[in-house]
Amino acid sequence: MKQSESSWRLLILAAFLPILVLVAINITGDWKNDFHPESFKRFGNAILTSYVIMGIILIGNLFFYADSRHRPFAPFVGMMFALAVGILIAWALISNDDLLLEANSGLRAQMLSNVVHLLVSGTAMLLASLLAIGVTFAMITGRERRVLFEEE
Amino acid sequence: MLEAAIWFWIPLSLIPLGAWLSISGKAKSLGKIIAVAGLLLVMISSWTVPASDSTAGGHLLLSILAPSLLLAYGVHGMVFGGNVPVGRLDSTARWSGSIAIIVSLLIFCLMHWYNLTPLWRDGEVNPYWIVFWPTFLLFSTSLSSASAVALVSYGDNRLSESIRLAILSVIMAGIALAAMIFDGYMTTSDEFRDYLWLATADIFGTIVGISLAIGAFAMVIWAYENSLPLPENSLPPTEEEIKHVVSLAENHIGGEEE
Repeated sequence: MKQSESSWRLLILAAFLPILVLVAINITGDWKNDFHPESFKRFGNAILTSYVIMGIILIGNLFFYADSRHRPFAPFVGMMFALAVGILIAWALISNDDLLLEANSGLRAQMLSNVVHLLVSGTAMLLASLLAIGVTFAMITGRERRVLFEEE
Repeated sequence: MLEAAIWFWIPLSLIPLGAWLSISGKAKSLGKIIAVAGLLLVMISSWTVPASDSTAGGHLLLSILAPSLLLAYGVHGMVFGGNVPVGRLDSTARWSGSIAIIVSLLIFCLMHWYNLTPLWRDGEVNPYWIVFWPTFLLFSTSLSSASAVALVSYGDNRLSESIRLAILSVIMAGIALAAMIFDGYMTTSDEFRDYLWLATADIFGTIVGISLAIGAFAMVIWAYENSLPLPENSLPPTEEEIKHVVSLAENHIGGEEE
């Protein structure tokens, strides 16, 4: 159990370390690139947009769940409420002064821009996953099969 | 606004709808057709509704389509050219696959450092290119590194494969580092370094947002399942039912010689 936990921690560290190293180089390099002022806004917008979009996808997934449970209405209402909370927080934070509003004219423009932004960054992450997971499987299948039992 | 809705936003929403129809099995072929048609309309939206700024996203997807397909072809060839029990390809597929992956990464690099950079309005660089490129580099570096550690932690005698994955991670980090130092064809290294921050914020934000949505979904399902009454115990079998079961069992496992 302990070994499994430490492996998980090692995995998370391995995933975050390269990003942190590149960010550290970005800060400490000759160019002294300080924390980008729009980073917090991007982080907040990314959280809210991915939460809402993923929530909509999961509501679609509820139809599969409903097929095996006599089509209950309660989970659907629960997810709609969770989604509404996300949209409400996004609306409140974007319309509140300069909190999450990036270089866009207003609330609607920011929300639409967030969706397109997620489409692009999601595509980038999907392609990166295809490359990394694909090459991992290629490495696994690339090895010659080991002979487990010798014929007598 | 209406044109943007018709030519960009409705086709964009058709993609997940088509995928849902296809996955759910309710209308497999129709779902695929709807999703592909939606994707095509999104990709050509910078011509159908040029006034909308959102179409830059569709234009970028079209610009990276060729190297992305090449990457997918390469990964397919590398995986299925190896020792797989089903759908095995010719052993040369591994070589052609690895070459395809290298060429696709080379094309992405040329899109940054040479004149293949996606251009949008008035010969200006597509604003989403500088979003896509650092996000792709950072995320692939991170995932390759995690995969290398996973192989050596959970796999059996997988050190050499793990080292190769770590090399891939270092290569992707090296490309990111080169973009931080050397100017691109249409973008400067200053811009890239700025967007590296934003890409990091994007990756972490997206992961946190998706985790929160999955957490909310799990809570909703858990609360509903918890509210269901416990199933009632069924009545014990009657004498007649027991006799019937015993006769069935005897028929099957009696072992009487014919």
